[in-house]
Parts: sequence; structure tokens; C-alpha cells
Amino acid sequence: MYVLEIQNVSKVYKAKKKSIIGVDHVSLTIRDGEIFGIVGYSGAGKSSLLRCINLLEQPTDGQILIDGQDLTKLKGEKLRQARLKIGMIFQHFYLISQKTVGENIEFALKAAKLPKESRNERVEELLNMVGLTDKKDVFPSQLSGGQKQRVGIARALANNPSVLLCDEATSALDPTTTTSILRLLKKINRELGITIILITHEMDVVKEICDRMAIMQNGKVIEEGPVYDIFANPEKPLTQEFISSIVSFDIPSAILQNVQGQIVKILFKGDIAGEGVISDMLQQFKVQGNFLHGTIEYIQEKPLGIFLMELDGQVEDIKRSISYMENRGVTVEVLDHVI
Amino acid sequence: MLFDPSHFAEMLPDIWKAFGQTLLMVGIALSIALVIGLPLGLLLFITSKGLFSTSRSGLLGNRFINIVVGFIVNLIRSIPYIILLVALFPFTKWLVGDTIGPIAASVSLSVASTPFFARLVETSLREIDKGVIEASIAVGATRWMIIKDVLLPEAKSGVIQGVTMTIISLVASSAMAGIIGGGGIGDLAIRFGYYRYDNTIMIATVVILIVIVQVIQLAGDAIAKVVDKR
Repeated sequence: MYVLEIQNVSKVYKAKKKSIIGVDHVSLTIRDGEIFGIVGYSGAGKSSLLRCINLLEQPTDGQILIDGQDLTKLKGEKLRQARLKIGMIFQHFYLISQKTVGENIEFALKAAKLPKESRNERVEELLNMVGLTDKKDVFPSQLSGGQKQRVGIARALANNPSVLLCDEATSALDPTTTTSILRLLKKINRELGITIILITHEMDVVKEICDRMAIMQNGKVIEEGPVYDIFANPEKPLTQEFISSIVSFDIPSAILQNVQGQIVKILFKGDIAGEGVISDMLQQFKVQGNFLHGTIEYIQEKPLGIFLMELDGQVEDIKRSISYMENRGVTVEVLDHVI
Repeated sequence: MLFDPSHFAEMLPDIWKAFGQTLLMVGIALSIALVIGLPLGLLLFITSKGLFSTSRSGLLGNRFINIVVGFIVNLIRSIPYIILLVALFPFTKWLVGDTIGPIAASVSLSVASTPFFARLVETSLREIDKGVIEASIAVGATRWMIIKDVLLPEAKSGVIQGVTMTIISLVASSAMAGIIGGGGIGDLAIRFGYYRYDNTIMIATVVILIVIVQVIQLAGDAIAKVVDKR
């Protein structure tokens, strides 16, 4: 079952004389229970798209379907009810500064008209979930960034939403705090089955927790798919640029000058990484191998090994060794021949 | 002699009476400014154009109300108090049956300070981070909840500073009301200090006004700081 469908959504902002296209005919299908990442530079339209999902911004065109219901057709009370089931967290948390942590969470419960007796209990439950049981009567100003985001998460989850929207939720946090918030999001996703849509400009975030991803540029989705596949085989230049922030293969020119043979890029996906394909190949063929660069990234706990290797020997032997590796399930890409 | 202590002592009952009248005028006008100005400022904010004006976002975007209320507020605020005071004589006469005395003066003081305070309320509401309001809309809060649990608490400190400014401006205006016999400290200053060249009373009234304003400002700042949890 599909939980959320973004169909042909556009958002045009009317400025003084010209109109600016924020989101340009985007269609995405978010599956029930997945963590979906939308990546792009600022101004790519990812934030506008996210805000169209809960109608903080009214799309100029297109539909937002949640469990078959078109949100763009809703108004007033019906829209408010629908929003109760869509949680949202923000880069700058946006907590009510004059209310305590407990009151901030209770605010969401009041919106759902939960009776007073059950509210207190639910607040405790939520604080427990985000690990802030002792902060109930504290004001947001006394919390660290990570703790504020935890309050934001508790507030967003208060009414058991089916979807959680994360608007650059970790961008204002330091790396350690980012990791702990991402862990919390993943826990929420796995334990409560809440679908998460997050936007970010940090590929680390996507690599860490997303199942699938989309890359946006100039208001359009230019590439989408499972995170692992996109990391293994980025097609568009922008995607490659983003991936290179994680997996970079710049070989110093001094080393390149000494390269005698053929440079190949070898990709191990999943379990293949452990099979010793390269040592088998080197034993079978009259080829000398020399590693120039390499890394193994774990994406969703699945290893992705990327190596740059120099293969030296007879041209025929090199060709045969490459097809041997390919037969064993390794992706080999021949890079420019350097003599 | 510039300041005659014995004359001051002799005038003390009059000074006390005038002080009481000033408090009465300012008190009445302030109460009305708070009761009417606060909702008016809120109305100006929630009907204004911007993020919350679209009917979908939940708050009450209404350009017509905003323009009409804004126009009336600006209209009153553009009239100098001394002219407003005189212009309102017929209204004051109709309302309280008299145009002289502190009660009569409090009518024009109320009319002048209500839009002043309303604009100050609106300004403090504008200082609230839009994101906080947006987050409340996203959470599914009703309009009333956003007003009661977000807008008012978040603007509280700014509104208290607005009250301070309103009181101080009322004290200044109330002194002006003395010119037409409104009573109070200003009345005393004009009748004795100005018409009779009574320096003692002039100095005494000026000192009293300075002390009142300083005390209110300090108290206002302190309260605004205490209630602010940021």
C-alpha cells in the first residue's frame, strides 16, 4: 500500500513582476514505512515541496494523496484534522519559548482534543520515548539543540501521525548530536512504523538512515531510487557531486603519472565484498594489480566497496580479467587509459 | 527663592490631590487601552497579509478588516493629543456630562492611548518567529489555540513593554490635559507654576513627573524580564 503520493506538484511564487518556480511538476511515491530522503542544494525546491505535503504551502498545481485522500482539496477543519496525522520537525525546532517542554508537547495533544487526564500520561510517554523524562518542566531556552529537537520530535509524534516530515532537522546540530537524532528517527521509523520524509543537503544523513532518495535541482526531481543504488551508480552530474562528498576519488597527479597499466573502477555491492574476487582474479590471470584508492561504505548496513585499481599486463589478459570479475558479479568500469 | 520648602509643605495637600487625579486619569485610560487595544492589536496582526493570511493556513486573513482598522488607528494617532482633546469635547460632554476634571480628561486619554497601545501589541506580535506559528499550524492547532497558547504567551514580554510605554505616554498626555482644566499634576503646574510664576510648584511637579516615569520604566522593564522565558 502506498502511504503518500505526490502527483505532478508545482509551486509557483508570484514575485513583483515575474513568477518564480519553486517546485516544478514533481511526482514521487513514498512507500508505507520507509525513510525517504530528498537531497538538493538550497533553493532546489526541496523545502517548498516538503511544505506542500502538509499544505503549509498550497501547491499551485498537482495533488497530495495520503491513503488516497487528496489533501489539496481540504480546507479549514478537515485540513486541520488531516494535519494531526502529519508530524513535522524543523531545522530551528520552533518550540513555544514561553512554555515548558511538557506544555509544548501538550499543545499538540490539545489540538487533537485529547481529554486533560490522558494528556499528562501521553506527555510522559512521549518524553520517555525521546529520552527527556527529566525535562518536563524546563523551558526550551535551557535545552541544548539536540534536546530541543527531541522535544520537536515528541510534539510531532504526539498524535500518532502516519508520516513525519523533517525539514533539515539535523542541519543546525553538531555531528555527534546529528547522529543521535538520526538514531532516534530510525528507531521511531522501525518501532512505530512511521513513514519519514526528510530533506537535507547532507549526504551523510541520507546514507545513515534513508531507504530511498530523490535528488532535486531547479525545482525538479532529477534522480530517484534506493539509496544504495544511487550511491553505487549515480547517473546525473549533480548526484555524482553529492556522492563525491562521501566517496571521493581524487588521485594525486604524481601517482597518476607513475601509472603504467589500465585504471579500472571496481564496485562491490552487498555480500560480494567478502568473496575475495580480486585475489582469485590475480591468481588466475597474468595481471598485476595495484590499488590506487578505495573505500567501503556501509549504506543501510550493506557494504558498498569502491576501489580504483591499476591492472598491468597484456591487453588480452586485462580484458579477460575484467570479464572474469564481471562474471563474479562485480561491476567494473574502465577509466581512461593512462600510459 | 527658587524653591521654598515652607510653601511646598503648605501646598502638599493640593499636590497629593493632583497626584491622585493623575493616577485616576491614567488608570482609567490605561484600563480602556488594555481592554480595547489588546484585541485590536491582535486583530491587526491576524488579519494582516503574509504567512498567516491565507485562509488555508488557519488564521484570519482579511484584508478588508485590516485596512479599515488600520486606517482608524492611524487616523487617531495622527491627531496631536491637544487637538484630539478639544475635538472630543462634544463626545466627552455626551459621555460623562462634563468637559472639565479628571474623568472628562480620561475620555480623550483613552481614545488617544488605545490605538497607540494596539500598534505596540501588533509590533510585539510581529516579532514572534513565524516558524513557531507555522509549527503550530502544522501540528493541527485551531486558530483559538494559536492565539491563546502561542501568540499571546510569545508576545507577553513585548506587550508588557508596550504597557510601560503606554503608561508613560499617558502621564505626559495627562499633564497636557491640565491646560483645559483636566486636573492632575499638569493642571497644578499650569495654574501655579505657569500662571502664577510659582517656581516651587513648578519644580515639585516636574520632579514628581520625572519620578513617576522613572519608576514605571524600571518596574516595567523588570516585569518584562521576569516573565520572559527565552
